[in-house]
Amino acid sequence: MTADLSPMRPTRDPRVTLDDLLEVVLNKGAVLHLDLIVAVADIPLIGVSLRAAIAGMETMLEYGMMRHWDEDTRAWAERSTARRALDLEEDENIVCRMSGGHLLTEGLYHGWRPGTVYLTDRRLVVLRDEPREILWETGLDAVTAVRLEPEETVGGEERLRLDVALADGGQERLSAREPEELRALLTEACAGRPGPALPFAFRSPAEEDPPLAEGHLWYHEPRRGGPLWRGGQGRLTGDRLVWKSPVDSRPALVLPLTDITAVRRIPEYSPAGEGGVIAVRTAAGDEVRLAADDPAAWTERLRATGSATGPVAAAGRVTG
Amino acid sequence: MPLTVDEKSLKHGVLSLVVTLVEVIQEALDRQALRRMNGHDLTPQEAERLADALLELDEAMEQIKEDHGIVSSVADLHRGLDEVVDDVVDKLINPRRWAEEAGG
Repeated sequence: MTADLSPMRPTRDPRVTLDDLLEVVLNKGAVLHLDLIVAVADIPLIGVSLRAAIAGMETMLEYGMMRHWDEDTRAWAERSTARRALDLEEDENIVCRMSGGHLLTEGLYHGWRPGTVYLTDRRLVVLRDEPREILWETGLDAVTAVRLEPEETVGGEERLRLDVALADGGQERLSAREPEELRALLTEACAGRPGPALPFAFRSPAEEDPPLAEGHLWYHEPRRGGPLWRGGQGRLTGDRLVWKSPVDSRPALVLPLTDITAVRRIPEYSPAGEGGVIAVRTAAGDEVRLAADDPAAWTERLRATGSATGPVAAAGRVTG
Repeated sequence: MPLTVDEKSLKHGVLSLVVTLVEVIQEALDRQALRRMNGHDLTPQEAERLADALLELDEAMEQIKEDHGIVSSVADLHRGLDEVVDDVVDKLINPRRWAEEAGG
C-alpha cells in the first residue's frame, strides 16, 4: 500500500450479468402484496388480493417461511431413495454409459429426446432419469448393423449420429457424446455374441419407390379458417400420392392409392388457371382438391395408377 | 425484399432462446445450491445427491446444445442478455447518465 493513492472510492464492476442480477434478487428475496378492487361507478365489482414472494430457499428459511414444506419434501425424498441407475438383469454388466439421445420418429411428435445411453453386454438402452422413462431399448441380438452418419443440425452444424438397424427391418437414430466410441463398443459387443453373421447393410430409402410422376401441384389445404390453395411439389409413386410444400418439413398430404375411389376434373377457378382443378375422392368419403398446370396429364396418371391397384377408374369417369 | 421465415431458422431461433433461458435458470439453481450447501442444513447424502443432479443437468444441457448445433448461438444470446442487464443496471445506479441521456 502506498500512501499517495487517493482514498478508496466506491466503484462498480461494469460487468453485471443476468445471472448476477438473478442471484441478488434470490438472495435478498422479493415480496409483493397487492390489494386491488375494480369498481364501476364507485361500486366495487371485482376484488384481487395477491401475496407473492420469491427468494432462494435459504432466504425463505431465514425468514421462517416454508420450513415445514422444506422438511417434508426432503423427508419424502429420503424415504423414496430414487433409483438412479438402470435396472439390470441378473449377470448383466454395463459396458459404457454416456449422455445422448434418441430420435423419436413414431407418432405425432418427431424429435430428439435427451437421456443417457447405456450399453450393457445384452442391451442398448436410452434412459431418461427425470421423469424416469426408458426412451428406447433393444437387445443386442436384434442389432443387425451400426453406422455413423453425419447430420446437419438445426443450428447448421454437422454432428455424427449413430444409426442402428434392427432385425425387424427398423432403423433407429441415436446421438451420443462420443459417437465413435459408442459405435466401436457396440460393434464389439455385437460381434462377441453368438448368432447369425451380421450383414451390416442398410437399405437405402431411395431404392424403395421411384416416382411415376413428379411436378408442381397446388393443394387445397383444409384449415381452420377455411381451405387455402398452397403451391408445392406433388409426387406420385407406385402406392401413394404425396404433396409437400417447400416450407413444410413433412408432407401435408399422403394418400395411399388404394384409398382413391374416384378422380374427376372440375371447371373451377384455381391458382393454376381456369378449369385446372382435380377432385380426388377417397374411400373415407372426403374430397381432396388439387390443381395443376397440366390437369389432364395428372388426372390420367392418377386414374391409370388407381386402376392398376384397385377398383377405381370407372367411377372416376363422372365429370362435374 | 421478401421476408422468408423457413421452418429451420425459426426452430433455430426458438430453440436457442429456450435453451438460453433454461441456462439462466440453471445458473440460478447452481448458485442457490451452493448457498444451501454452505447453510449446513443438508445432510451429506442430500448434498451429494444435489451435486450429482446438477452435474447431470449440466451434462444434459451440453448434450442438447451439441445435438442441435446451437452452442455458439446460445453463447451469443446469453452474452447479449448480460449486456442488456448490465446496461439497465448501469443506468439505474448512475444518475449522472440520466442527465447525459436527457441532454442528448
